[in-house]
Amino acid sequence: MNTWVTVARYQLMRRASYLALLWILAFCFAVGAVSGAGSRYLFGVVLYFAILGMQTIGRSLPFGLTLGASRRSFCSGTALLGMALAVVSGLVLTALQAIERATGGWWLSLHFFRVTYLLNGPWYATWLTSAVGLFALFVYGMWHGIVNHRWGMLGTLAFIAVQAVLVVAGVLVGNLEHWHVFSGVGGSSAGLTALGLTGVVAALAVLLLAGGHATIRRATV
Amino acid sequence: MTAAISVTGLTRKYWDQIVLDDVSFTVPGGTITGLLGRNGAGKTTLLRILAGHEFPSSGLVRVLGGAPTENEAVLRRLVFVREDQAYPDIKAGQALRAASWFFPNWDSALASSLLDSFGVRANKAVKRLSRGQRSALGITIGLAARAEVTLFDEPYAGLDAVARQVFYDRLLADFAEFPRTVLLSTHLIDEAAALFEGVIVIDRGRVVLDAPADVLRGAATRVSGPCLAVDALAGGRPVWERRRLGSQASVVMVGPLSQDDREQARSSGLDLTPLSLQQIVVQAAAGVLAPVPEAGFETERTSA
Repeated sequence: MNTWVTVARYQLMRRASYLALLWILAFCFAVGAVSGAGSRYLFGVVLYFAILGMQTIGRSLPFGLTLGASRRSFCSGTALLGMALAVVSGLVLTALQAIERATGGWWLSLHFFRVTYLLNGPWYATWLTSAVGLFALFVYGMWHGIVNHRWGMLGTLAFIAVQAVLVVAGVLVGNLEHWHVFSGVGGSSAGLTALGLTGVVAALAVLLLAGGHATIRRATV
Repeated sequence: MTAAISVTGLTRKYWDQIVLDDVSFTVPGGTITGLLGRNGAGKTTLLRILAGHEFPSSGLVRVLGGAPTENEAVLRRLVFVREDQAYPDIKAGQALRAASWFFPNWDSALASSLLDSFGVRANKAVKRLSRGQRSALGITIGLAARAEVTLFDEPYAGLDAVARQVFYDRLLADFAEFPRTVLLSTHLIDEAAALFEGVIVIDRGRVVLDAPADVLRGAATRVSGPCLAVDALAGGRPVWERRRLGSQASVVMVGPLSQDDREQARSSGLDLTPLSLQQIVVQAAAGVLAPVPEAGFETERTSA
């Protein structure tokens, strides 16, 4: 655990990458306010978490191992940092959402931090959902970074191709469900609340983290 | 003396290419050992495996009594300075600060002093450092870590002669104060020869020479002079090389010369020149090294 914290501190040294989050948030908010498109631009901030996760591998992994961290600790420590960032960012989004509510959408009837269905409930639900979502994206980016480090461009393309196949399969299953194919066996995602979806995303984050761990185990530098 | 590094039957294959082939050796604790060999001989792969950065295909590797792979009990006591070290987008001072968090015996004063000696500014981004300055940063981390096992892989690429001398001097001074096990891979053999207590030579993935440096220093002598006198001295003894030009001849005699040999050489007008460590390594890598009748001298190739 001690090494995990040390790895997280080491990762935080690239301050500019993390401070960029504030600039991206401000920029997305400005664009959202001007265009009137609202929360659509909030996803710019969310996607940056995947990029952050990717950046934590790259050139940080070789020097991290040189400093004596094991691959396992490097992965866990980096994920710990991702979790801390997600929790703090979730708190910031929750606070901004509260201000948005109190000011009637920044006096512009803007719905930037209130996302229909996902982030529109009580403060704790907003915090939990945003933190879990951001963490999932962070570890998703990490896994991409690890795959790229281990297998290069070809491996990354294959990884993306596998994901595309899974997404297509998911869409097909969704359609079958829509046609009540699953209703006979009791499976359904209909009626899933935002918190329920948060649970699903949390489980996905655990899977992504396990995938990252399994991939980094034989990575060489 | 207990072995700080022990390698038994280590083999590393990449597809059909064998980079390390049944490598076995030990490095005693508290010594500086030279890891020598030609480009592509397998030195870097060996060091990467010792540092847990690479995986062996087969064989046993022990560093400080444990397997280094994913073993933080070993990794925390080991530092690996490599020529091609990649750094994240941080400043030199930040790299040192990060190292201070990881290595329990880190000496910040030594790190600052070394950085000053090498003329590297702590607030300069690593990506803006010259090749030599990056090497200096690596050396600073390697020395200031004061790790029980220190692995240097061509640590001074791009460093000028003055900076290299700073490295040798500081390494020796710090080693005297805080003994540790150092394995240093280098091509500048004669320059670093005075540091070595032991020498391991690798060629095409195999250990071709593993011997104490003191034994090697007197292991071979070039004898030159009149043909008859040279033949009289070298007759019946193992030699590596024989040249003849007119009435003059030159041979490299293997093994230490006795006082009688030296007297005979002086009276016959022969020149005696001990072979440098670099020349011996060249012979070893060329596969013409003959066994020297001296305890502790191990070779795999014995053709004369």
